[in-house]
Amino acid sequence: MTASPARLTVNAVPVDLTTVPVGERLLDTVRWRLGLKGTKEGCRTGDCGACTVLIDGRSVLSCLTLTHEFTGAAVTTVEGLEGDPTGARVRAAFEKEGALQCGYCTPGFVVALTSLLKERGAEASAEELAEDLGGNLCRCTGYAAIVRAVRRVHGEMP
Amino acid sequence: MTFTVRPDADAKLRGQVAFATDLSVPGMLWGALVPAPVARGRIRSIDLGPARAIDGVVAIGPTDLARLLPSATGDAERPVFPTDRIQYHSQPLAAVAAPTRELARRAARAVRVDVEPLPPLEEIEGFDPAHPGPDRPEVIAHVLARHGDLDAAFGSADFVLSETYRTAGVCQVALEPHACIAEIQGDVWHVTTSTQTPFGAREDLASMLGLPEERIVVEGTWVGGAFGGKGAPLVEPYALLLARASGRPVRLALSYREEFQLGRTSLPSVVRIESAVKGGRITGRRVHWRLDAGASLPGRDFTTGYAIGFILGPYRIPAIEMEGYAFRTNKPPLGPHRAPMAPQCVFAEESHMDHLAARLGVDPVAFRRSHVWKEGDFTHLGQKVGPFGLDRCLERAGALATTWRKDAAPNTGVAVGVGFWSTVTGAGGEARLVLSPTELKIIEGEREIGSGSVIRGIVAVAETVLGISRDRVRVDYHDTRSAPFDSGVFGSRTLAALGQAVQKAALVLRDELGKRLSVPADSVQLTEENGELVAVSGRHRESIRSLLTETELAAGGLTSEGRHYGTSGEIDTARVVEGTFYPYTDFTGAAHVAMVKVDPETGAVRVTRYAAFQDAGKVVDLPTAQGSIEGGVAMGLGTALTEETTWAADGHLSNAGLLDYRIPTLGEIPPIEVHFVEGFSGAGPYGAKGLGEPPIIPVPATVSNAIFAASGAAMTELPMTPERVARALKLL
Repeated sequence: MTASPARLTVNAVPVDLTTVPVGERLLDTVRWRLGLKGTKEGCRTGDCGACTVLIDGRSVLSCLTLTHEFTGAAVTTVEGLEGDPTGARVRAAFEKEGALQCGYCTPGFVVALTSLLKERGAEASAEELAEDLGGNLCRCTGYAAIVRAVRRVHGEMP
Repeated sequence: MTFTVRPDADAKLRGQVAFATDLSVPGMLWGALVPAPVARGRIRSIDLGPARAIDGVVAIGPTDLARLLPSATGDAERPVFPTDRIQYHSQPLAAVAAPTRELARRAARAVRVDVEPLPPLEEIEGFDPAHPGPDRPEVIAHVLARHGDLDAAFGSADFVLSETYRTAGVCQVALEPHACIAEIQGDVWHVTTSTQTPFGAREDLASMLGLPEERIVVEGTWVGGAFGGKGAPLVEPYALLLARASGRPVRLALSYREEFQLGRTSLPSVVRIESAVKGGRITGRRVHWRLDAGASLPGRDFTTGYAIGFILGPYRIPAIEMEGYAFRTNKPPLGPHRAPMAPQCVFAEESHMDHLAARLGVDPVAFRRSHVWKEGDFTHLGQKVGPFGLDRCLERAGALATTWRKDAAPNTGVAVGVGFWSTVTGAGGEARLVLSPTELKIIEGEREIGSGSVIRGIVAVAETVLGISRDRVRVDYHDTRSAPFDSGVFGSRTLAALGQAVQKAALVLRDELGKRLSVPADSVQLTEENGELVAVSGRHRESIRSLLTETELAAGGLTSEGRHYGTSGEIDTARVVEGTFYPYTDFTGAAHVAMVKVDPETGAVRVTRYAAFQDAGKVVDLPTAQGSIEGGVAMGLGTALTEETTWAADGHLSNAGLLDYRIPTLGEIPPIEVHFVEGFSGAGPYGAKGLGEPPIIPVPATVSNAIFAASGAAMTELPMTPERVARALKLL
């Protein structure tokens, strides 16, 4: 595979990637080149949602995204939501409702829900938001607590 | 409910918890496995040359074992690589390691495998199991038990209902694939891995690799879901051998496809169940079970003799016979999947109960309650039943079902199903506590697997004994060199068994503090003052710092130890004709209620409401307990409705991915009510019963009964897909 320059902004920090092979997945770039392991590797086939990151504010599955496709874009991983007020509300709601067990799917849920709230939180109902999380799989919680967390964070929207 | 925040929540929500898949070490190579191209066959040759020709690649196969292992080949019965026969599709035949993931995969593909294919042995029906004959799978386990006068029961019955049920294989689907990093450190073979059982893994690895246990170190990581699938070693032996061959640390993680292809999990089974009924009572029951055990080895099976008991049900039946056969087929070895085979066995037994009640024209809950075990009754194998809350669960589930039926829409049915389980408290463990002036440490080998049994369950026990606040208790994880021995996080035993060791260690600590304060031990509680722990008893107050000796302070604190090696009840061996059966250690019941809607034209089933009544003994930590029930129910709904491993005629798994193997998604789970029935004490601390496995057990049966109530379709096959429901409704 040939390498070509790639420029990304990851979590507001510009990253100049000059040695990323064409065909490398964004998942592998953030995890193994940048060491951002909060983005989890589950299925690598786009079915589980554990690798969800934001590109220019919208959720994408980083396992199905080629790094070079988004040269110039702004990527936000779960680590990049540390200081984000919506991200903080999502985390607080998950914590209070016990909406996590093993924690492997959890960063994907946090990223996806944060983006949903920002995008449609004002007009969508909690049920609609929960439905839009259907692409994120969780095997431990049975989703019950996750739905409660979505309701809680939706109800607490400023 | 008051919210109690899990101590691991914040780090997990920020993505700051490192799982085995996240680890890397300097100089690490990436491992990959070379899969068998057929499910059954003879290996003619394995040529590693083309892989080794790639710069930086290390490749190992069966002929390398002798040079890599100290004792020739390790365990001859279960060699790391097969030398002659392929037992299942994608079975690892060789392994490679390379500086990058891509290169490792390329090297694995470059290995040339030449095999003589043979037709896979998959069929477990249609022949006499006592004499399978050639080209039939070998019997690896046969169990048979009898009690009472079965001929009289069946000879004088008002009617006999005989049914056959078929259940599919299901996968654990923990979202985290199996992963580890292995490194040879001098004499020590070290592996950092995602495991439920560090000590069990050490023992297994020692036996497989032919090494003494003290030369193997297993270091547990946070576990991204396990459900039984992360007990026995899977990736570790290959990673260790690659590390040995390359002299470098090796990371080996399964792809999710391999997760399905190689995981040890539940496999298909066929249940025949016959009941003799006279005067409205079950007078006799005969059960014949055939279980696909995959490539399991004879003499190592426990599932057959354990799970078969669940097909007879927790009911008083005067005459019984149960016979089970497990067959060695060309699938990966059978493995433990959350309450191994119990949801499947109970699906048959509890659906059968509703079919019997319908035949009798009686209320299915009343019918169950007139037969259900209560404390003091005897099991089918003559063991005395201990405190058992199932009848209370049934009573409450029945009342709720009656309420729900009042607002049942057309094509909607409400029904009840039950299950029971026994915590594996017999598997022992030890706990070590260290009390310093500022905190209490629980030294542990096992990491939290998600359920909360370690990070909340055993911690809550220490809190209760010592009155210490939860933010002053910390679980301190050690590897197998320095952690106290424990059997592991499995069998719903963590709180119930390891919790007892923690309880004992905490009591020893409290006794010691009582002595030093010269007060009765049970009056001592720990509180805090200016960031320091203080022992309090009435008007006595003394800081821990001042109660500890110089030596103890220098050693990090006052250490105490507790051991729990449980005992089980006894079965009446006169009832056992052949094979091994197991006693129960405690009796954990559950009754579930489901409301389902069946589409009369397509057979599609939607579960609209769900409730679980769980016999819990004593709830030690409510949010954790509730989470376990909700998660177990959701997993059970997958077993009930969508999950099925489909094996092609050539023996390969044709749906090895999350798109084709469908676990429940968020929108498919109904609201789940969770109710705990307390007071029927189990073996655990304060009477706690294990709650990891019990909630999945009744689910397929409960949904089956609700489908029966909604539509009249008597379901006899799992999962209950629209196609199968439509067939039962004679729509197809």
